[in-house]
Amino acid sequence: MTAVENPMDPAAGTGTGDAAPPESVTVMAELRSHLWKSKAGISGIVICSLFVLAAVAGPWLPLIKDPTKQSLPDRLTPPVGWGGTWAHPLGTDQLGRDILARLIDGARISLLVSVTAVIIAAVLGTVLGLVAGYVGGKIDTLIVSAADVQMAFPGVLAGLILVAAFGPSVWLVIIVIAISSWMVFTRVGRGLVFTLKTSLYVEASELAGASSRRIMWRHLLPNLVSSLITLCVLELAAAILSESAFAFLGFGVQPPRSSWGLMIQQGRNYVTGDGWWIVTFAGMAIAIVVLGVNLLSLWLQSFNDVAEREQIVLERPGG
Amino acid sequence: MLRWLAKRIIAAAIVVFVVTSLVFVVTHIFTDPATVSLPLEASQEDRASRRAALGLDRPLSVQYWDFVSGLVVGDLGESFFQTQPASKLVFERLPATLRLVAGATVVTVLMAAPMGMLAAWWERRFADHAVLGFSMASISAPPFWIGYLVIIVFAVQLGWVPTFGSSGFKSFILPSFTIGLASAGRLAQMTRRGIVEELRKPYAVTAMSRGFSRSYTIVHHTFRNVASGFVTMTGWEVTRMFTGYTVVIEVVFSWPGVGRLAVEAIEDRDLILVQAAVVVLATMVVLTNLLVDIARRLIDPRVDLA
Repeated sequence: MTAVENPMDPAAGTGTGDAAPPESVTVMAELRSHLWKSKAGISGIVICSLFVLAAVAGPWLPLIKDPTKQSLPDRLTPPVGWGGTWAHPLGTDQLGRDILARLIDGARISLLVSVTAVIIAAVLGTVLGLVAGYVGGKIDTLIVSAADVQMAFPGVLAGLILVAAFGPSVWLVIIVIAISSWMVFTRVGRGLVFTLKTSLYVEASELAGASSRRIMWRHLLPNLVSSLITLCVLELAAAILSESAFAFLGFGVQPPRSSWGLMIQQGRNYVTGDGWWIVTFAGMAIAIVVLGVNLLSLWLQSFNDVAEREQIVLERPGG
Repeated sequence: MLRWLAKRIIAAAIVVFVVTSLVFVVTHIFTDPATVSLPLEASQEDRASRRAALGLDRPLSVQYWDFVSGLVVGDLGESFFQTQPASKLVFERLPATLRLVAGATVVTVLMAAPMGMLAAWWERRFADHAVLGFSMASISAPPFWIGYLVIIVFAVQLGWVPTFGSSGFKSFILPSFTIGLASAGRLAQMTRRGIVEELRKPYAVTAMSRGFSRSYTIVHHTFRNVASGFVTMTGWEVTRMFTGYTVVIEVVFSWPGVGRLAVEAIEDRDLILVQAAVVVLATMVVLTNLLVDIARRLIDPRVDLA
């Protein structure tokens, strides 16, 4: 058990809340040695790094073609191994565009949307959870009821109504994913604050006259960070899947920009005939990346046991 | 029990009321059905006349009262595009969605319960790892992609079942299997964890130390204690189906359900119809949660769900 793992350990949050360097070094070292022993952790990190690399460095990677360049004579070229050539390793789509290049291009949208949405949800949800847990009373009741209502009105339904009202756009998808995820952070944060706020160091700083804001910001929040990071990773997997589902339904990225979900939507007419590879590879990209994020989260959970918090995550419907 | 039930039903009604009111705010204050139904370049006169035709020029409070009092009697407005009552269109499609959800729930339970039990029985052995592997694959793969994969394999390559539509039992197999597969992974893991946690409790440890085998203890001692948790978790999966899986899977298999109706209504710029479909699906979620609470209470009288 280290200080980070044990929220009741006063050493983690005493004084002004700044972590002493030696302690964080131990945590990092332990994290690293734990990682080397975990196959799930390593595979997760490798997949996620490749995903981020493809998303960030995509256009500058060598040998990758222009994802928007159409070439009708080359349309529906099969991938290598099914009669294709290395000119298009994963074949081409219905307009002769290179599938590999489009997959790498799609990684950008996927990363941008999911990370932005999770950050918004985490910030909003954590602040509400802190306030609900620490202040309590009517504000707590209000925030908890809002979270309960949100549970009954999950992402896709909110997405349907908002897209119907405002038309499809990437920003709308980000907002929809964020509003269908904030209450997870609120519930977890609130639950942790409930146990933390009776601890001695919080009472001590209350007696010393610290303001509520200071206690929440400097004493409670640092103790939530490790569980919230685990939660972020878990929510990231859900966000990538949601983004692909919205793109598939045509609610997100619009052509000619590409996204994995949109590739499946556009390739679906070729599923039964010549062109099974469009849908197959695009879906495989989503599945592998989400699997990587899930493996990472599995490892983080085993490092930092959050069984009861995960329980709360699994309670949320839809998404 | 009756008192508790009454309280629970009122709470559910309040949630439905709040959710529908939120929907009203989006569809009538942030925008309105007339604006949505017209192209962007429509003139001011066109907008005004359509607003008048749809009764949107009345004060918001009057419109809201109309909306709420309509809800109570099941009137969800008139579909602008199809010029029919929206409730009629939605309720025509609802049985198909309910059938799909029912089939998927059966598939999920039949897959998840045995897998969860096997994984708990052989904890940290091969079966446990195999089930974990299946679960990771099932929660990572996008359900609509799985839908196309099973179409490619079972409908196109093998030709066992039709690729889409809803003609008879055969066309029902693939969509419900696809949704069931997506839910089964999570449910199997939750079942496994429920049993494993239960097996660590003193009463189970005592039973095993008296010489009962692990399997006997699972079946005869922990089963009822795990059952109420299992019902709750199955309920969560059902709400997931209503609000996510059915929408995309109905699109993949051209299944004539409420989810696909909503997606089509968005393409037709028919805000009233989308609103009706969303209200009905959200009500299904609330009803599912209510049923789950009642079932839990019946299974495990210790559960106090005040």
